[in-house]
Amino acid sequence: MNAPEPIRLRSLLASRRGAWSLSLLLGFITLLAVVSLLALSGWFISAAALAGLVSVGIGFDYFRPAAIIRLCAITRTAGRYAERLSSHYAALGLLKDLRVTRFNVMAQSKSPTRHSADSLQRLVSDIDLLDQFPLKVVAPWLWALLLTTLVMMFWAWLAQPLLLATLPLLLAALVVPPTTLHQALALAKQQADTAALRRQAALEPLSMLTNLRLWQRWQSAVQPFHRADQQLLALQQRQQQLISRSVLAQHCLLALALLALLWQGSSLLASGQLSVALLLAALLALWALYEVLTPLCHSFVALGLSMAARDRLNQLGDITVADNDKPQPTGPYRLTVEQLSARHPAALSGPDNISFALQSGQTLVINGTSGAGKSSLLQALAGDLPYQGQVTLNNKPLQHWQLSHCLGYLPQQPDIFDLTLAQNLRLGAPEASEQELWQVLEDVALKTWALSQPQQLDTLMGEFGTAVSGGQGRRIALARLLLTKRPILLLDEPFAGLDSITTQRVAKALQQRQQSGLLIIVSHQQFPLEHTIELRLPAE
Amino acid sequence: MFILQAYLLSLLFADWLSTIATDSTTDRQLLVSLLPLLALCLLGRPVLQYGREQLSVSASQQVRLKLRQQVLQHIADAGPGKNQYGSDGSISTKLLEQVDALDGFISRYYVQRYLVLVIPLLLAIATAFYSLLAAAILLLTAPLVPMFMILLGNAAASASQQQFTEQARMGGRFLDLVRGLPTLRQLNAVERAANSVANAAERYRDSSMKVLKMAFLSGAVLEFFSALAIALLALYLGLGLLGILPWAKGDIVVPYQGALFILLLAPEFYAPLRQLGSDYHAKAEAEAAIAGLQPILQHQAWQHTGSQSLAINAAPEIRINQLQISGEFGRQRLAPISLHIGAGERIALQGPSGCGKSSLLHALLGFTHYSGDIFIGQQSLSDITLQQWQQQLGYMAQQSSFIAASIADNLRLAAPAATAEQLSRVLQQVELWPLISRLPNGINTMLGERGLGLSGGQLQRLALAQLLLRDANIWLLDEPSAHLDGATAYRLHQLIGQLSVGKTVLLVSHQLHGLDWLDQVIRLPDGVSSLTREDMHERA
Repeated sequence: MNAPEPIRLRSLLASRRGAWSLSLLLGFITLLAVVSLLALSGWFISAAALAGLVSVGIGFDYFRPAAIIRLCAITRTAGRYAERLSSHYAALGLLKDLRVTRFNVMAQSKSPTRHSADSLQRLVSDIDLLDQFPLKVVAPWLWALLLTTLVMMFWAWLAQPLLLATLPLLLAALVVPPTTLHQALALAKQQADTAALRRQAALEPLSMLTNLRLWQRWQSAVQPFHRADQQLLALQQRQQQLISRSVLAQHCLLALALLALLWQGSSLLASGQLSVALLLAALLALWALYEVLTPLCHSFVALGLSMAARDRLNQLGDITVADNDKPQPTGPYRLTVEQLSARHPAALSGPDNISFALQSGQTLVINGTSGAGKSSLLQALAGDLPYQGQVTLNNKPLQHWQLSHCLGYLPQQPDIFDLTLAQNLRLGAPEASEQELWQVLEDVALKTWALSQPQQLDTLMGEFGTAVSGGQGRRIALARLLLTKRPILLLDEPFAGLDSITTQRVAKALQQRQQSGLLIIVSHQQFPLEHTIELRLPAE
Repeated sequence: MFILQAYLLSLLFADWLSTIATDSTTDRQLLVSLLPLLALCLLGRPVLQYGREQLSVSASQQVRLKLRQQVLQHIADAGPGKNQYGSDGSISTKLLEQVDALDGFISRYYVQRYLVLVIPLLLAIATAFYSLLAAAILLLTAPLVPMFMILLGNAAASASQQQFTEQARMGGRFLDLVRGLPTLRQLNAVERAANSVANAAERYRDSSMKVLKMAFLSGAVLEFFSALAIALLALYLGLGLLGILPWAKGDIVVPYQGALFILLLAPEFYAPLRQLGSDYHAKAEAEAAIAGLQPILQHQAWQHTGSQSLAINAAPEIRINQLQISGEFGRQRLAPISLHIGAGERIALQGPSGCGKSSLLHALLGFTHYSGDIFIGQQSLSDITLQQWQQQLGYMAQQSSFIAASIADNLRLAAPAATAEQLSRVLQQVELWPLISRLPNGINTMLGERGLGLSGGQLQRLALAQLLLRDANIWLLDEPSAHLDGATAYRLHQLIGQLSVGKTVLLVSHQLHGLDWLDQVIRLPDGVSSLTREDMHERA
């Protein structure tokens, strides 16, 4: 399995080169039409006026320019429509690619920490931010550079001095936006940091709202939030100011270029080197460049935002290579644990010096008070938490085996997806028949519940599994895990919310299914069961 | 608005003057005399534009700041009832992102709505000065534009609403799957999930392309009309200048200077309309955001208005008489109930979920409107100053939250003036001292985000330490052990029993494990006291 590349901004355009080039081309044609429309109509009206003054319109070919003007107008309208469609088509395609590749990257990274809902929300909006790069940075610059060159060539064709007079000012107008680069990038980064700070400052007091109100501390507790909010708004204002200021500078430079053009033009007119009509055309071409050059001022803020989004997304992808070439263990199984200690990085306590041995057909029940490290022990065995000590399976260390198809772990907060009950279960076994589904539901004591649902197997589980209670969700996940038929099962509190008789029944069914495998159950409930080894973790 | 008018005038001036200037370029004298004015207009326009942007940005910031404070106040007033607005994560999204989504609407669309009326009118008047017919053409085509916009816009609006929900659904699916990645990885179902992400993105692209086609079509129609009007004008003016208009052969209906002036104005005439069209999505975004905020803003927060000072200095008796709480849409949250809790008596409330146990606590906390009477000693709760009443209360929820700061800082949230001795004493009382004193940093150990590092039971005991520091006479405990396993819950219950002697205690709990110290257990909704202390002892 290849480790995927981190996101690079320049590779964003590479994935859909055809669509992007089409939209860039269309955009260029559209803007070209805009510039020539204005220039041509200026020339046309002046030339017509001149012709009208000299001899009453006879001999003046007004059909061809008028036709070109109409063509330009139509091109402008149609071009803009087509450009918008094609660029959005490409951008949405990019979004799709990004989502899929990011999903795969995250699927391969095996970081034990779960991402909080908020960080995931940010992830989604960060991906959405990335299409700003092609739309607001690449395209405007490409168009601006091409069109400016064309307009300058037009001037040079009209008269060299015209070009010489305006060249420095026009170039300066092009240079203005890049001067904001440094500041824009810094601001974007600062803004991203402040936004994260603001969210944190909002979440903290919200999570303890009632007590803060009772303690008369609410107002002081939300102060940091208001400060962060104001800070963020100030940053946004500075960003806007940066844009506005560069627009201002650019427009002033363009205005000066306009004046220089007039000044130079008037002397050319006086010496008869240039007609009024062509001078007006030159002037209006510059006028039209306003529309082309202004978006450049926004480009670097957009660049900064895309870069910040890219950095955050790349942070997520710490990639581990899957262990495909390792051998799979076969039964009968024998698991021995000697002097195992493990601890979450931030935890104050964890399992300490644990030893046991387990053989196929046996069940290990781990109990102990909360905080004793029952869950951490299971996570260590499941490979989600680093540990010290010796763990061997069939006399080889755990790392020797490829466990992804034979070890199943049920965490305390399993994930139930916003799909139907059957779809959730079939994540474990895509080919499972309905009969198998009902059988496994019966084994985890959910058959009666599922039968009582109006939609039965097609019942929707709701966002984050909200349609089911915590205990039910855990048993749905258990059923799903059972469908994968893993020989080694590690279950964290599978019986939550069950009375002792049902607990007993479910535990029996579990043992029945794991006859030739290993079963490790963490539970604070006591239940008598045969072939069971009990392990009691001492209190903290 | 003054700025806008000035901006308009300057715009007019610029156009007008440049016309004159170009008209008389053969004479350099005129150019020289006009140059300062022309320069003033050309440079003044970007400056005024800059000012306008600054003003609208700060206006938008003011509005957002105010709205955010308002939303936060509404949430704060709801107290523990804030959960009706969603989880803390989704509340913070509303508070932050949704309020920020109004930016584009306020800073651009809002102003543009007025500009769209004022600018074309002023330009039409200016045009009429030269040619009534040209002004008529402009004014005739102008209303067509909004008409078509409305026709197309309505279709586009409903379609874009649909697109918003589609987008939310796709984001939700992506989020749901990413969140469950560890589970998917475990089940070897990542590939199937990636396909599902790709399919959702593809479907989203197809559906939103449909919407975009429609939305861009409205833009294209606008563009088409403005092009048509400009072409009509150009034809009329051009032929007029040539003197070959069918009804005015040989006459020049509009002189060159006027013609050029009109031609320069024409694009500006449609510019605000076009801008409005492209800012349309800002409006749609704002509408969606406002729709999300509506439930919070519309909810009439109830204000406690009592003003008598509270006259107790020991645990008081609480008499509840025909207390009834109704929620939104006339839904009954608590059926009428009468209770008597003696001074220093400790009772538990039990009942099926949804019978109003928590609502009763919220009413006692002073966050909910109720009908009936609550007497604290001899005084009615509704007459007492809220602040004084709340100072007497200790409250604990299912899950206690802490800020990302040290243990000492968290304790001092409840009692800012507490000394180190006091802190260690309460920690000893809740039996956390042995654990915390062993830590290298002692009570200055940092707690991670949301109190990471301590187990659920330890966190609840830390919350209990906060209660002890407040030295409140009345404790209201809302299922403090709901998320704890049996043994830990038992220990917490016992601890609460030891530490709440002499206080009036109202405890909501599903399990009575370890609560043998209670004086009464009251079952809702009927309010029958089902167990007395003697029964409990017999049971134990």
